[in-house]
Amino acid sequence: MIEIKNVSKWFGEFQVLADVNEVVQRGQKVVICGPSGSGKSTLLRCINGLEPYQKGEIVVDGVSLSDPKTNLYKLREKLGMVFQRFELYPHMTVLRNITLAPMKVRKKSRPEAEKKAMELLERVGIPDKAGAYPANLSGGQQQRVAIARALAMEPACMMFDEPTSALDPEMIQEVLEVMIGLAKEGMTMLVVTHEMGFAREVADEIIFMDAGRIVERGRGDDFFKNPKSQRTKDFLGQILK
Amino acid sequence: MDAVLENLPYLLGGFLTNLQLAAFALAGGIFLGTLVGLGRISKRPWVYYPVTLYVNFLRNIPLILVIFWFFFVMPILIGKTLDPFVSAAVSFVVFEATYFGEIFRAGFQSISKDLVSAAYSTGLTYRQTAAYILVPIAVRRMLPSLITQSIITFQDTSLAYVIGLQEMVRRTTIVDGLEVRSVQLYTFVAILFFVICFVGSRISLHYEEKSRKAKVL
Repeated sequence: MIEIKNVSKWFGEFQVLADVNEVVQRGQKVVICGPSGSGKSTLLRCINGLEPYQKGEIVVDGVSLSDPKTNLYKLREKLGMVFQRFELYPHMTVLRNITLAPMKVRKKSRPEAEKKAMELLERVGIPDKAGAYPANLSGGQQQRVAIARALAMEPACMMFDEPTSALDPEMIQEVLEVMIGLAKEGMTMLVVTHEMGFAREVADEIIFMDAGRIVERGRGDDFFKNPKSQRTKDFLGQILK
Repeated sequence: MDAVLENLPYLLGGFLTNLQLAAFALAGGIFLGTLVGLGRISKRPWVYYPVTLYVNFLRNIPLILVIFWFFFVMPILIGKTLDPFVSAAVSFVVFEATYFGEIFRAGFQSISKDLVSAAYSTGLTYRQTAAYILVPIAVRRMLPSLITQSIITFQDTSLAYVIGLQEMVRRTTIVDGLEVRSVQLYTFVAILFFVICFVGSRISLHYEEKSRKAKVL
């Protein structure tokens, strides 16, 4: 589904990604963790074509992002993305937030798009908020709308960029439950998070990044119990305290 | 009130000149201002630096000097005397564009990079993102400032009296010279300006409230 081959990226002199290699199979759930500034979010943005990279290659569903002929807009339809700060369109209702892309990109009719949007709102548990504006929702509700908005384009893979780190503690669970539900339905997922409980429960693979490199990768419990590098041990020590 | 009523058509004729000048100043200023705003967020140094220099220079000198400057310097540069209206209109467009440009710049810069990324990540193109996300949000956020700056521009049109433009304040000084009814005459002019500008600021407030309710500000 997603192949990342020797990808490096620089912001001026500063190297944010250094020879990153990773393969995400269809249906696989990969959790990326690491200290801030380690390049996790940048990696997601590169996969989605939101940022360029200078070396290596990323292939999504058989289409290379390095190929200048690749239509990035078409490619992004396959990848849903959820951001740390929700990024809902503030001037549109919840329903409009979800139906915009299906109507404008997929050319769906309004009734068709709204029917699908209502199904998605049911799924994330807030069908009663369809007519509300984002500012009148709690953080947890906003993030669930953001997930519904991404799902409305029926992506083959969902990417989450620290989806719970801007939330109050009591709202984290409601968002994680939606994500766990998605995982159980077989969605391919790439999740940047520090929610280690979530990682333990759903991740097929956990990646630890530091200074733009993948330092360590492992599976579930093994990753937490027997971290190989000192850097991973220190990080897990801090985060699991 | 006699002095006002007897000279009403003459005074209102001057007021019409204020309105016309404001219309030119706003149309030209907002158009040029949009380009200035884009220039101020441009990543190309050969666009950014000249535009920034222009904005910073004009925003730090009084409008009345710009009006004088165009009126006295343009004839030297182009070899003929400009009509006061044309000269004033050019001064206003060039001056106000710097203010409108900064309003546009702030409007576009207030939209987070991630909001744009979110729109792209659903498959929307640049054009669709600009049409449905960027411009609607920027305009909502800018509207109160745009209206406020438009009101200021309208009030400032009276400054063109210094180059002899027959606008309302200029005509009032002429009538006052003949009738010597300063209090009535200037009160009348003040009320007229007040009514127009007050209505304008109420409209601005209305939009501000509306945006606040929708929480886009």
